Amino acid sequence: MEFRDNKAIYLQIVEYVCEHILLGKWKADEKVPSVREMAVALEVNPNTVMRTYELLQNKNIINNKRGIGFFVAENAIEGVKSYRKVQFMDDELPVVFRNIYLLNIGFDELKTKYETFVKENFNA
Amino acid sequence: MIKINNLNFGYSKHKPLFKNMSMQLSNGHIYGLLGKNGAGKSSLLKNLAGLVYAQSGTLEVMGFNPAKRQPALLEQICFIPEEFYLPSVKIDAYVRANAPFYKNFDHQYFGNLLKEFDIPVSQKLINMSYGQKKKVIIAFGLATQAKLIIMDEPTNGLDIPSKAQFRKIMASAMTEDRCIIISTHQVRDLDNLIDTVIMLDENDVALKASVQEITEKLTFKKVKEIDDSIIYAEPSLSGYNAVMPNYHHEESKLDMELLFNAILAEKVKFKPLFN
Amino acid sequence: MNNTFNMNRFGLLLRRQWLDFGKIYLISLAVVLGIIVGFYGYNIPSPLKNNNFDYDGNLDMRFRYPLLLMLGFIFISIVASSYFNILGQKSRAILELMTPASVLEKFLVGVFYTGIISLFSYLLIFYIADLGFSKYLNSELAMFGNSSPKGGSIKEVETISFQIFHDENYRSYCSYFFAIPFLITSIFLLGSIYFNRFHFIKTALSVMVFTGMASYVVFKVSEQLTKNMTSINHTLESNEKENVLLILLAVTSLLTLIFWLITYVRLKEKEV
Repeated sequence: MEFRDNKAIYLQIVEYVCEHILLGKWKADEKVPSVREMAVALEVNPNTVMRTYELLQNKNIINNKRGIGFFVAENAIEGVKSYRKVQFMDDELPVVFRNIYLLNIGFDELKTKYETFVKENFNA
Repeated sequence: MIKINNLNFGYSKHKPLFKNMSMQLSNGHIYGLLGKNGAGKSSLLKNLAGLVYAQSGTLEVMGFNPAKRQPALLEQICFIPEEFYLPSVKIDAYVRANAPFYKNFDHQYFGNLLKEFDIPVSQKLINMSYGQKKKVIIAFGLATQAKLIIMDEPTNGLDIPSKAQFRKIMASAMTEDRCIIISTHQVRDLDNLIDTVIMLDENDVALKASVQEITEKLTFKKVKEIDDSIIYAEPSLSGYNAVMPNYHHEESKLDMELLFNAILAEKVKFKPLFN
Repeated sequence: MNNTFNMNRFGLLLRRQWLDFGKIYLISLAVVLGIIVGFYGYNIPSPLKNNNFDYDGNLDMRFRYPLLLMLGFIFISIVASSYFNILGQKSRAILELMTPASVLEKFLVGVFYTGIISLFSYLLIFYIADLGFSKYLNSELAMFGNSSPKGGSIKEVETISFQIFHDENYRSYCSYFFAIPFLITSIFLLGSIYFNRFHFIKTALSVMVFTGMASYVVFKVSEQLTKNMTSINHTLESNEKENVLLILLAVTSLLTLIFWLITYVRLKEKEV
């Protein structure tokens, strides 16, 4: 995994795990790699991975089954989505809003753009 | 694990290297020891290993005074110096002669580490390159199951794949009961491994803080222009790489090189943040 | 865990040091054997030579004594002065000092290799070579004709050890010099940890300077003490001679112990 420069490593690992869950690589009730395995695979300090797993536990994305390890939570996908939503709202939306404001883009224009985008990409 | 109290040390009376240095290190961490050339990184490590003696102050490693060089402590220390020596024998002969001193030595783990590092066991140590020898002593040192691991510039002389192998091995070697101290100039080789930064400057510890603590207090980011809130900045392709107080609870990635230069340049501004 | 001395660790350390030290040590023993064989080959009596007999009318083997002493001195002093020289090299010193054995164990292993192993292996090598040559000469006695210059038949050559140990007087006389080889190794062992480079030369020089100074002082002091006195005829009584020899033994033993003690302290205080 390539780490980017601009975000704390433990959060980048959170995204990495979320990505795996959303893409269905790790399914509900499946075991996720142990802290050590994850640290070795990503060449990071196990304490960093521990911090990641604590955050994921707080967001109900993974569970700690005592003595066995960490497992993907029953409704992990919802957890991921709500976590991502907050992230998006807090981090990415302000940048978009800033551009919308600076470039004087109207909401109607945005709405049509959005609908075509969804149609083209997701056939919804 | 380690208690340093009012340590005074220097190679001559007139040029002290450490003045009243105090610090505590605990297990379950990988400490990154940073400092300019001559700031005393190697000397601090040697003090911890009992290879040199302090002029005054106390030093306690796992309850022992390292200066006494007692076997019970020595078998719990794995010291990987920057320059090292290995006798001209085969690896297994070396292990047969040295491993019995360490009652917890794990032969299977040693074999696994050599495999991971791509070192053929039957090779004679004298025919190996610097990097290969270094990997052998790192593997041996870790296989002793020592609780205190001290490494002086461990990635020096390792090629690119070996550096990645080294990071993987260190990530797996870090356990709750171990304390790992790595001194390095090659910050980029190790910055994701280090969880606590110790920086030496001007005869003392200029900074000792966990990565989490640092990124809670400071934010590292690219900016277009410099303003008053920025403590330190370096020009880059697209503006500046800057360090500033973390007012908005941003979760930025610690840029260790930038932090290093920032502290050297603006020590006064950092002092109040970390006390 | 005993942090001062443990027999098991001591044994491990002996084995470990052998790994570092053994090969070169065996090579130097082979060189010593070569030198002994060379000297014997050149000096033993042979029908091709004219003067094969000493003044007692025995085959002349007197060259053995200076050879035994000189070569022995050179060998044990070189071995001793190379033992701790590894501590003069930073990288090797770190490895030595970090080995989990106590300072006492490391010191004793040094004494064992330099004071005991080197001395006894030298004596053994010398003994074997001497025995071989003696046996050879005795089997070929006929080469030298039928009678010795002093009349009678030629006596068999005695081995050097036989000569030293067979005669009770000689044996007890030699025992007073017992500590001297240990003194030599202790001095050079100390030199090997005291100096960082050129251990052998520096130690030898210091020994010369010290003995020179000591003899000068003794000479001056005795000169002062015997000023304006006349020497009266005095023959040494046998018990006086014995006392002098006893003092010699005591002083050399004491000096050896002192040098070993200083070496131990130096090892304890060694920094890298």
